[in-house]
Amino acid sequence: MIRPDAPVLLEICDLRASVEEQPILKGVNLTLRAGEIHAVMGRNGSGKSTLSKVLAGHPAYRVTGGSVLYRGDDLLALQPEQRARIGLFLGFQYPVEIPGVSNLEFLRVATNARRLEQGLEELDTFAFEDLVRERLQVVQMDPAFLERSVNEGFSGGEKKRNEILQMALLQPLVAILDETDSGLDIDALRIVAGGVNQLASADNATLLITHYQRLLDVITPDYVHVMAAGRILRTGGKELALELEERGYDWVDVEIERLEASELEALAAAQGSRTPAEVG
Amino acid sequence: MVTIPVGELRVQSRPNPGQAWLADLFTSLPALADNSVLAAQQQRCRQALAGEALPSRRQEAWRFTDTSAITAIPAQPLPRQAAAALPAPPANVLRLVLAGSGDPLQGVVLPVGLERLEAGALEALFGEALEANGAAAAWPVRLNGAVAGQVLALRVRQPVPTLLELVSDTGDAAGVQGLRLLLVLDPGASLEVLEVHRARGANLTSVVLEARLGRGARLRHGLLAQGQSPQPAVAERPTAACAAPVLLHHLAAVQDPDSELELIAAVAGWGLARLEPLVLQRSGAASTRLRGLQRVDGSQVVDTHSRVLFAGPDGRLDQVHKALADGSGRSVFNGAVVVPRQAQRTDAAQLSRSLLLSDRARIDTKPELEIVADDVKCAHGATVSRLQQNELFYLQSRGIAADQAARLLLRGFCEEVLAELPAPSALWQPLALLMGEEPAP
Amino acid sequence: MTAAATVGDLVSQPYKYGFVTDIETEKIAKGLSEDVVRLISAKKDEPAFLLDFRLRAYQQWLKMDEPDWASIGHAPIDYQNIIYYAAPKQQAKKASLDEVDPKLLETFEKLGIPLSEQKRLSNVAVDAVFDSVSIATTYKEKLAEHGVIFCSISEAVKDHAELIERYLGTVVPSNDNYFSALNSAVFSDGSFVFIPKGVACPMDLSTYFRINSGDTGQFERTLIVAEEGASVSYLEGCTAPMFDTNQLHAAVVELVALDDASIKYSTVQNWYAGDENGVGGIYNFVTKRGQCRGDRSHISWTQVETGSAITWKYPSCVLQGADSVGEFYSVALTNNHQQADTGTKMFHIGPRTRSTIVSKGISAGHSSNSYRGLVQMGPKAVGARNYSQCDSMLIGDQAAANTYPYIRSQQPDASIEHEASTCRISADQLFYLQSRGIGFEEAVSMMVSGFCRDVFNQLPLEFAAEADKLLALKLEGSVG
Repeated sequence: MIRPDAPVLLEICDLRASVEEQPILKGVNLTLRAGEIHAVMGRNGSGKSTLSKVLAGHPAYRVTGGSVLYRGDDLLALQPEQRARIGLFLGFQYPVEIPGVSNLEFLRVATNARRLEQGLEELDTFAFEDLVRERLQVVQMDPAFLERSVNEGFSGGEKKRNEILQMALLQPLVAILDETDSGLDIDALRIVAGGVNQLASADNATLLITHYQRLLDVITPDYVHVMAAGRILRTGGKELALELEERGYDWVDVEIERLEASELEALAAAQGSRTPAEVG
Repeated sequence: MVTIPVGELRVQSRPNPGQAWLADLFTSLPALADNSVLAAQQQRCRQALAGEALPSRRQEAWRFTDTSAITAIPAQPLPRQAAAALPAPPANVLRLVLAGSGDPLQGVVLPVGLERLEAGALEALFGEALEANGAAAAWPVRLNGAVAGQVLALRVRQPVPTLLELVSDTGDAAGVQGLRLLLVLDPGASLEVLEVHRARGANLTSVVLEARLGRGARLRHGLLAQGQSPQPAVAERPTAACAAPVLLHHLAAVQDPDSELELIAAVAGWGLARLEPLVLQRSGAASTRLRGLQRVDGSQVVDTHSRVLFAGPDGRLDQVHKALADGSGRSVFNGAVVVPRQAQRTDAAQLSRSLLLSDRARIDTKPELEIVADDVKCAHGATVSRLQQNELFYLQSRGIAADQAARLLLRGFCEEVLAELPAPSALWQPLALLMGEEPAP
Repeated sequence: MTAAATVGDLVSQPYKYGFVTDIETEKIAKGLSEDVVRLISAKKDEPAFLLDFRLRAYQQWLKMDEPDWASIGHAPIDYQNIIYYAAPKQQAKKASLDEVDPKLLETFEKLGIPLSEQKRLSNVAVDAVFDSVSIATTYKEKLAEHGVIFCSISEAVKDHAELIERYLGTVVPSNDNYFSALNSAVFSDGSFVFIPKGVACPMDLSTYFRINSGDTGQFERTLIVAEEGASVSYLEGCTAPMFDTNQLHAAVVELVALDDASIKYSTVQNWYAGDENGVGGIYNFVTKRGQCRGDRSHISWTQVETGSAITWKYPSCVLQGADSVGEFYSVALTNNHQQADTGTKMFHIGPRTRSTIVSKGISAGHSSNSYRGLVQMGPKAVGARNYSQCDSMLIGDQAAANTYPYIRSQQPDASIEHEASTCRISADQLFYLQSRGIGFEEAVSMMVSGFCRDVFNQLPLEFAAEADKLLALKLEGSVG
């Protein structure tokens, strides 16, 4: 739902980031307002997963430039757990297995950390059980999964449902779902997408990262962004996704080449105009 | 001999049987007189051994191993004997017969890629792998150094399509022989070796094999050690008259990155067999695969002490050791895996499976994991049991008699390892040996 | 910032039990001799059989050598530079708590072990041992109603001499090892528990050991006997002040379980571990052994070892009775320069005996943590079973985790299964928890306690929570 007067939740400005000294994000600009659903599409290696990891604060990624404001405050200065507590959520493409740590305990600790930040009182084990059982409905998940270790031995679909369950418990303002559709059969996809749709509201924003149209058949985005070579190349409505599906990504390569060529020229021109002293 | 100062009130200890045995052995085995590396080593080792007893159970590394079988062997060099009748080698196999003296390469045409190690390299590399594995002072290594009169040293320049078969058959001769081998694999070279030891008399075969694997080199080494002990009823306590053969086999390998080493050993029938495969992945990033199968019966003792050390990151080890203990036999396995701090991302797995087939037999198993790096995958497992009752029952429920079912399962247990020996090993009928059966004529 | 790269910044949480109680203490002169052994025995007014026991042990000790096979290292211990007896200056035992020096009561209260009638723990009877003597034992009368004897071993020597004479040294012979011989010669105090035939002890029993003096060795002796069909759950806790010297603690614990009896022995060991540079701390050289003498008897050891500069300890089970069961559940955490060489021995003697070993070692800092265990199937252990699982978690690349499981079998119809694995806390797991709002340290401690869950489940409830907190505390600052 697009409302031009809705408050800005996330503002990404010329974001640059690298991993192991390899630049991946090369100037991403993106603004999310409350109520909006955005989809970022692109090929493998276009930088879309990196964008999600950088926003969540993964320690392997180094921000080299630009800024990210979350409701007007600097997001990048915060530890990953602080980002989560104030309402940023990353649904992982590959949720991690943590043997020995009970799923229920994990969900409770996470939920209470968020509630504390929101000024709500912590839930004791009983109150939390009630809450979690209610939220299980969102993803039609078997309560038996609560007794197991976090994601351990879960199938791909079960892991993704567990992600959406966490989202349902944490009630984020900005949810970034990284390839949530990957590895899901059609039934699981419907359940997961149904969960996302239920949780989307006028107060929060969702950023879907995907490279297939099929997720967007069940979750309708307000905006579609095409990402390539570490930046957003084009932005449009949901019809852009259909266009991608039809035309493929080859045109993107052409455009990127053109863009990079012009940048190189500009760079060369800038260097050429410097005096030798400045270069030295 | 330790001299006790006159006047000091100490009871002179009884002469150690091991020392007396060694002294006799060295007397009967004249020292090498040339100025070769062997002669220098011999002198060093004899000196070092002179003051030393046989390994005893007070030493952790020999805690479970009775070495009295060694002194039951006549302390003399193995007499020269007529070459034993051996089955003819299959095609594409180069057989070298090892006898501890004489040049095994005499009159042999080596295949392309395989050559005698040049003198300078021998000088430089002799003993290096032992030193690198910290094994130069190990008792079996010193014994070998003190008695070996010949070294077979080969350089592998490139992939060699011919299998190299090294055979020693001491028959029923009485005495001690020392075999010394050195294999140097150049980068990218590869070689397949089958080492066969056969013995049935009161003799001791001491082997030290050093192997250096250059970058990307591959060595597949099968060891088939077939002893034949006198029937257990005769040999409750080993004596010179009815001593069972002894094998002391020490293999020290040094691997460069990207090299692959496979050691497959099957051992049975010895009064005492002690195998010490040691591997050093000098800069990590190599692959080591160890397979062991040992069987004891009667009053035999087989002891495998393996050790793999990762001195760099990204190394891999896949080790499976199996043991069968029957009669009043004793099977010992000690498998050390050492992963120091620099060996990040090591992936090592060790599995020890032992079957105890008689209530007089004994099995001692001791995996040893020493890890300092945190980003590693190291798993080990050990089981000791008899044959799985449910498996037996399953076969029986299909109409197979209990003893036949048991043999089938034992065969399966052995085959898993034997199938990995280089194919020409079939000639030596390893399965019959491991199953405790008379080989077919 | 990967977990591996950030590990290594080791700032240990200050040890919160490191205070010293300022109390007048009666100490004998440093050093060990036959006279000292006689003096200790005389101070405790012991019967002749016990003096003989001590003197015999002392003679044996003189002939023994300190064991050197464990993966531990320390400067030689000067056994003549240790005080073998220290006691707060007061009559050894008071008729009522009102007569106990308030400073001592205060000390235990500070340690979380209130002894006074009003505040004492409602469901646990406590024997409080301060340096060489037992200060007080709670709920003695209530236990006596059930025929349960729970008192200090010194009292037991006086009041129940026949039981002590019958059982002392029968599970751990004084010449079993160097430290058990030393303990048998000079042991000062400890607890005695006797559960008569058919009695299920109505409450958990607990002994709390406190070392206070800096130059005193602690040599306590615990003996627990459960007669036919009896059962008891016993807890042991320990702390010591921070000194920059090392104190020797060489205890002996003996458990005897007769037919159908069951003893559950839990330890949360938090002796002072030394500072982050490895200065000071307790040398914890302990011999603990239980004997399942009776058929169908059951002995279970659970230990959470977080303290001590050096731990050398192998709580063991001698499974003699047919169908008897031995268990060992252990968490050993080492940080900074701590060294632990710990594990268990399961001797399967009787038929159909069963044992389970679950060991979780966590090594952080520059510490060294070794599991050393023995599972032995004797010739008569027909149908015996053992299952062992030894897992190590490494935190940082300076810590060592060693595993030495000895397995011996002489019985074909017995089965032994051993599994071991090594893991670490991966950067991805940490990030996942963090991205759900869970702080770094909490994420680490969640994963560590998840790793230890199988063992914590075996602890009595209050202890489990305590152990969990203790681990979190010990690890604070070791990751990150």
